[in-house]
Amino acid sequence: MEKSNVTKAVFALFLVLLLALTACSGGSDDSGDSSDSGEGTEEGSNEGGGGEASEDKLYSIEDFSPSASNDGEPIDGGSITYGLVSDTSFEGTLNWNFYDGDPDSQILKWFDEGLLTYDENYTMTNDGAATFEVSDDNKTFTFTIKDGVNWHDGEPVTAEDWAFAHEVIGHPDYNGPRYNASFQNIEGMEAYHNGEADSISGIEVVDEKTLKITYKKATPSLLTGGVWIYPMAKHIFKDMPVDKIAESPEVREHPIGFGPFKVENIVPGESVVLKANEDYWRGEPNLDEVVIKVINPDTVVQALESGEVDLVSKFPTDQYPDNANLSNVEYLGKVDLAYTYIGFKLGTWDKENNEVKPNPDAKMANKNLRQAMWHAVDNKSVGEKFYNGLRWNATTLIPPSHPAYHDENNPGREYDPEKAKQLLDEAGYVDTNGDGIREDPDGEELTINFASMSGGDVAEPIANYYMQAWENVGLNVELLNGRLLEFNTFYDKVGQSGNDDPNVDIYQGAWNVGYDVDPTGLYGRNALFNFSRYASEKNDELLAKGVSEEAFDQEVRQEVYNEWQEFMVDEVPVFPTLYRSLIVPVNNRIVNYDLYDDDMSTGDTYLYELGVTQEEPVKAE
Amino acid sequence: MNHMWKFTVRRTLIMIPQLLLLSVLVFLMAQAMPGDALTGQINPDLDPQEMQEQREELGLNDPWHVKYADWITGALQGDLGQSFQFKMPASELIWNRMVNSFWLGVATLIITYLIAIPLGITSGRFNDSLLDSSITGYTYIGFATPIFIFALVMLWIFGYQLGWFPTSGSVAPGVESGGLEYVMSKIYHLLLPAISLGLITTVNTVQYLRSEIIDTKQRDFIITARAKGASESRVYNRHIFRNSLLPIAAFFGFEITGLIGGTVFVERIFGYPGMGDLFIESVLLRDYTVVTSVVLLFGLASILGALISDIILSLVDPRIRIK
Repeated sequence: MEKSNVTKAVFALFLVLLLALTACSGGSDDSGDSSDSGEGTEEGSNEGGGGEASEDKLYSIEDFSPSASNDGEPIDGGSITYGLVSDTSFEGTLNWNFYDGDPDSQILKWFDEGLLTYDENYTMTNDGAATFEVSDDNKTFTFTIKDGVNWHDGEPVTAEDWAFAHEVIGHPDYNGPRYNASFQNIEGMEAYHNGEADSISGIEVVDEKTLKITYKKATPSLLTGGVWIYPMAKHIFKDMPVDKIAESPEVREHPIGFGPFKVENIVPGESVVLKANEDYWRGEPNLDEVVIKVINPDTVVQALESGEVDLVSKFPTDQYPDNANLSNVEYLGKVDLAYTYIGFKLGTWDKENNEVKPNPDAKMANKNLRQAMWHAVDNKSVGEKFYNGLRWNATTLIPPSHPAYHDENNPGREYDPEKAKQLLDEAGYVDTNGDGIREDPDGEELTINFASMSGGDVAEPIANYYMQAWENVGLNVELLNGRLLEFNTFYDKVGQSGNDDPNVDIYQGAWNVGYDVDPTGLYGRNALFNFSRYASEKNDELLAKGVSEEAFDQEVRQEVYNEWQEFMVDEVPVFPTLYRSLIVPVNNRIVNYDLYDDDMSTGDTYLYELGVTQEEPVKAE
Repeated sequence: MNHMWKFTVRRTLIMIPQLLLLSVLVFLMAQAMPGDALTGQINPDLDPQEMQEQREELGLNDPWHVKYADWITGALQGDLGQSFQFKMPASELIWNRMVNSFWLGVATLIITYLIAIPLGITSGRFNDSLLDSSITGYTYIGFATPIFIFALVMLWIFGYQLGWFPTSGSVAPGVESGGLEYVMSKIYHLLLPAISLGLITTVNTVQYLRSEIIDTKQRDFIITARAKGASESRVYNRHIFRNSLLPIAAFFGFEITGLIGGTVFVERIFGYPGMGDLFIESVLLRDYTVVTSVVLLFGLASILGALISDIILSLVDPRIRIK
């Protein structure tokens, strides 16, 4: 006995030493790696890259299902814990019309929902708490709220409530972030917003359950997120000044909705307890109770292992490969509505006219140069090496999360360094002084400044990889200021407030895309977030066509966006680098759950059906 | 005693310019952070023009001295402004968090002294023994261990591996406030963070008490006491301990100052919603009003801590009294 204890102690000591040693060598290992990959690319990195990556585990999003595998029957009732993964506490603005941060929306979805739902192409359906009809000119929508849709206090959800939400968001004193182009598209909204009218002329409450909204412009975007679907309980908020609603106890302490669960108790910033809403319009929820609690991203794995949480709002994808074999959870996955991209600065933002001002003399204005820089990088290897295949080579600017509009047949620009060199030669970017680096067509030295964001362990190696790859085709690319930039600094320099830093030539960013596939908000002439400041008549025309009345026909819209995707592959104001996957683990006892958003009718499951197969969470062995 | 009052009043008066200077510095530094409360909102669904209007309304575009004047006049009247992110008054937000931090601080101080006094006395009394070496060894390890690593290890072992303590939050979800269950849940939640922080911060006091005792026991009056035939325990308990404790009491104020730095890490790691956690969060979210208010309150606490220490010191040892 004595002896085995000693052995154990010695063993433990060795473990500690071993850990210390590996920790010490971590740094040098890293640098070794990056120089390795550099050599690899020079020798013809296709083989080198592939060979190295295959040593690591590779995953593919196609092997994941977005729905829980429903082994076993749900028990009656039960309580689950939902981990709200966030490094900040939730703000507690618990109303769809006012919330700001993602954490709040993760709480909201349990007790309140939109009146309309969407299908897998993010197009409005009639499966939700209300149905809709469109007039012949596609401008007037008539919504009918189903019977039995009641607020948690028993009052019915009415057309008045829905109209009230519009009145609040459009109100001059409104202090939330929701008032945008979609609202401005409602007839009479701008007059109301500017205080010139007491009511919104385009909104008509026909009867208790029927609402009619007339929009100024008929656009297919109305069907894909352009309609505001969240009502606001008028009987509670009608006498409250609009700028006081967000801080009121009716929003922060005892909010109500008409969703499957009711708020029972809130500890500000920490946790929320919800109970089943027996009066829910789809039916009585399976679960008795849902506990939501904030979990730090650093400890989410431990919380899952111990069964402390059953579900999580999100999961850091880079922790997946190390924890792929957790015995008590099942990993669900789907293609994320997002892409990473590299953008070229082609102009500036004209603040007076609120539009982009392309500069034909910009350093990156040469189309061949931009095309060559896309051909020069091997995004397949980047995805495999740095993300174990959970991010993968992107081809066009509409990601596969929108299957109807993503053009699968468009290969983008494939990795081909020879083609890149040829394109550069053609355009006159040649090495005139023999230093191995190409000069610009005027024979001046060409240094391209690259702005890239910090964050995560791989941000730096990836930026280095890209610079190496460009050097391999003879382009000298340097990190702006010699280092990665913090999030806020990065977007300040790239131009989030219109003050573009003239030193930025290219930058690496990422976008989450909305339900609506219309890219005008990111690439339109009047879009502040069009950071590349690219504009052309053809682009304007295609973007306008995509939201025109004829594009109500999905086939027409698909054609237009296929053409736009191809046009962007040719023009390359930005090029997509990686598509992303969303991976979320759920405890093995969870059934009837999927990753689709809750206002989606694609998944076969709604939150009220969510259940557990046993009282206690399954713990890791 | 008259003298004492004069000293306290003078010391308090000095605080006013200190605080003003601090507030300007804090404000300027917060403003120098890139981005503002709305910059996280890079979302094409939001209307950039609407955001500009909001910036204008919130006064984010004003020059710094206008913003500062606005803020300081408000602050003097107890209005710390509106939190952009939480959309509620900053003072209300901070008050909620301050209560948590206060109790965490109290618990940590209790644990600190519970550990420091017996260890310090033992170590000082039996100096250069094996026991003393082990205690000193512990203090050196304590000095060398960064609190953010130590707290993580504690969380991992006692929170996740052994499951003895809750791993985040300040109270179990769903417990109604008020009532014994609520209080017990609160105490249960702050125990592990307080122990983690206490085990590290205590080493200063242990060392200090140790050297104080070693110093005192060679003093003439102790030799006299021994010569008069006082028993060894009487010598330690009555003469040495009392005399050594006074300076320790005087450092109580500085202890508070030291705690603030520690709580920022500990609250963050244990997901304990206190002021330190709020501070980091508001920095991340660029919630300027909250950042400046929290830092100012931290500053105020430090200055008050120093003041308390000065007062206690001058009570204990008249020689240090500032003229």
